[in-house]
Amino acid sequence: MSIVSQLATILLNGLQQGAIYVLVAIGLSIILGTLKFVNFAHGALYLIGTYLGLLITLNITISDGKLAEWGYGQVGLDLGFLPALVIVPIIVFGVGLLMERFIARPFYDRPDTDQILLTFGLAIVVQEAFKILFGGQSYNFARPAQTSLGSIELQLSGPIDLPLVGTIGIWRLYVIAITAVLVALVYLLIEYTDFGLVVRAGTRDAEMVRLLGVKITRPYLMVFGVGAALAGIAGVVGGTLYAVNPNIGMEVLVPSFLVVVIGGVGSIRGAVVGGILIGLTLSSLVAVAPQWSQVGIYVLAAIILLARPQGLLGSEEVAP
Amino acid sequence: MNDETSEPTTEDGPSLIESDVASTLDRFGSSERSIVGLTVLAVAVFPWLFVRAPVISGLFRGYQSLASLILIWGIFALGFNLLLGYTGLLSFGHAAFWGGAAYAAGIFSASVSGSPVLMVLFGTLFAVLLAWILGFVSLRRGGIYFSILTLAFGQMAYYLALSPLQGLTNGENGFTDVDVGNLFGFLDAFSAFESIPLGTPVPLLGDWLYVFVGAITVLCVAAVVRILHSPYGLVFKAIRENEQRASFVGLNVWRYKLMAFILSGAFAGVAGSLFVVHGSYVPVESLYWTTSGEIVVMTVLGGVGSMVGPMLGAGLYLYVENVVSGDPAIQPYWHLILGLIFVAVIALFPEGIWGIVGRVRETFSAPSTDAEQGGEN
Repeated sequence: MSIVSQLATILLNGLQQGAIYVLVAIGLSIILGTLKFVNFAHGALYLIGTYLGLLITLNITISDGKLAEWGYGQVGLDLGFLPALVIVPIIVFGVGLLMERFIARPFYDRPDTDQILLTFGLAIVVQEAFKILFGGQSYNFARPAQTSLGSIELQLSGPIDLPLVGTIGIWRLYVIAITAVLVALVYLLIEYTDFGLVVRAGTRDAEMVRLLGVKITRPYLMVFGVGAALAGIAGVVGGTLYAVNPNIGMEVLVPSFLVVVIGGVGSIRGAVVGGILIGLTLSSLVAVAPQWSQVGIYVLAAIILLARPQGLLGSEEVAP
Repeated sequence: MNDETSEPTTEDGPSLIESDVASTLDRFGSSERSIVGLTVLAVAVFPWLFVRAPVISGLFRGYQSLASLILIWGIFALGFNLLLGYTGLLSFGHAAFWGGAAYAAGIFSASVSGSPVLMVLFGTLFAVLLAWILGFVSLRRGGIYFSILTLAFGQMAYYLALSPLQGLTNGENGFTDVDVGNLFGFLDAFSAFESIPLGTPVPLLGDWLYVFVGAITVLCVAAVVRILHSPYGLVFKAIRENEQRASFVGLNVWRYKLMAFILSGAFAGVAGSLFVVHGSYVPVESLYWTTSGEIVVMTVLGGVGSMVGPMLGAGLYLYVENVVSGDPAIQPYWHLILGLIFVAVIALFPEGIWGIVGRVRETFSAPSTDAEQGGEN
């Protein structure tokens, strides 16, 4: 492999890994920025998304866990990948609405530590519930091979030859593309709609928005729902890349929090920059010194924090 | 979070007219010497009640090694609560200090000396240094970010032990070469001393391992009481109540927070080292976030902001984990039940089990409500 193709592969792998973190982190970031609510259960939304994706995409036999014991070992709708990409975010959006209404809202006026503890407990509950139902084992959520969109046949898996890069899995490109489209949509939503205006104002000064007489109940609900839906999509997409098991929620949550902290709270651009940075750090370390790859992202976070505590694109006044 | 606006009346505290028995008891309960005395008594009686007492121990189904383990986690919870309960900082990275100290003590025992005393000293020292570094970075941001960052840097310690430092830590298999020697093994050079193997039985208490763990528990309780009753401890509480005001008074809040973090890391280190002395093995999971989560759950369930609460929480947690959940009907569900109880406690009784006990006691005892608060110490 030439140096150029090696670098290009590192770049693409980094973007693809970063993409998952970006999707999870945007939700975390806008919920934290606007609602001032720390959602340690955001990883649980990813977990829900990834299991739902598994169930919609495939029809599998599970041999572990209570579902199998109760005689429901054969699960899944076998609908393929694209339906999952549409259905899962809708369901998880609903889950997000319920979470905001019944879990987050009663806690807005409670101390931060209570919010963290509550959502942490919730994350445990969700994780354990999945562990009980599906067992602790890992499932492989086969990559979507092929799907047809109306009359167009889409080739979703398999290698592709790119100029400069060489041969890579085409699916990685789709992951990057899906993320790019979603990020663009959320960006437009936040920057160019009235809803976005309230969200942005809320990130700056939630109290003032309330005092100006804006009814923030519904925007808050929407923020939570959108954030949750993004985590759900991340779960579906991530499920095609990493093994699906009950611990995956927390595994994704921690780097995503780092993305938020590195990028700056409440900033979508920050989440994208932070996610790409973390993805690239991971992929370049995997190429150079694989055993250091996981440690590297924390070192990166520490360096950025020491230099710029409010995050790369965070503003001083938003950061408490 | 229970509101301790009125400070516990210490020996030299404000002189109230305390005629009724309840407040005298409270005053007794919060004086340093009596707390340490009560701890000695409790530690001494605990294994007998738990393991060997005629009828009671049969109900508990406790065993000697669990008694030591409860004290070890109790020390961990005590230190954790110094940070969460008294300074108001919620760390999700304390596994780094517990596990870090465990690895340090384990590696020390394999390569330098297996003396439990030296192992604990070395492990604690390591945890202090680690807490210094992680605290320095994590405290760059306050409030919720502190929790997030401690969680992240705790995970960093896990991944460090898992892969790059594999040569030292033995990676995912955990460190198995732990070689725990005799108590005071380092005094072997002096022929006057006869060193004691930890397994030597001791009447009433069980074995020397328990004596060792119990003695350190008492020391730790004494240290925490001393800290809390000193001006330093008052600053911690001031920071918890209102950080901004504390800094306006002219206190260097950041420095005090760092010191609280290091102190609490030190207790986690003591406990982590003891854990290795106790089990002669360091699982890599001791660094994983679930360990941090466990100590959070224990402390919060037991009751934040008191000395007894967190230790009680640790004891209950371990008891249920090791004895009750042995029941095959409960076993698969016990973590789920635990999570649900935890969520319910946060939502309904943020002051935890000990807080509920306190509330019940309050309703039954004298109506002089404002003097009651101190009893929790």
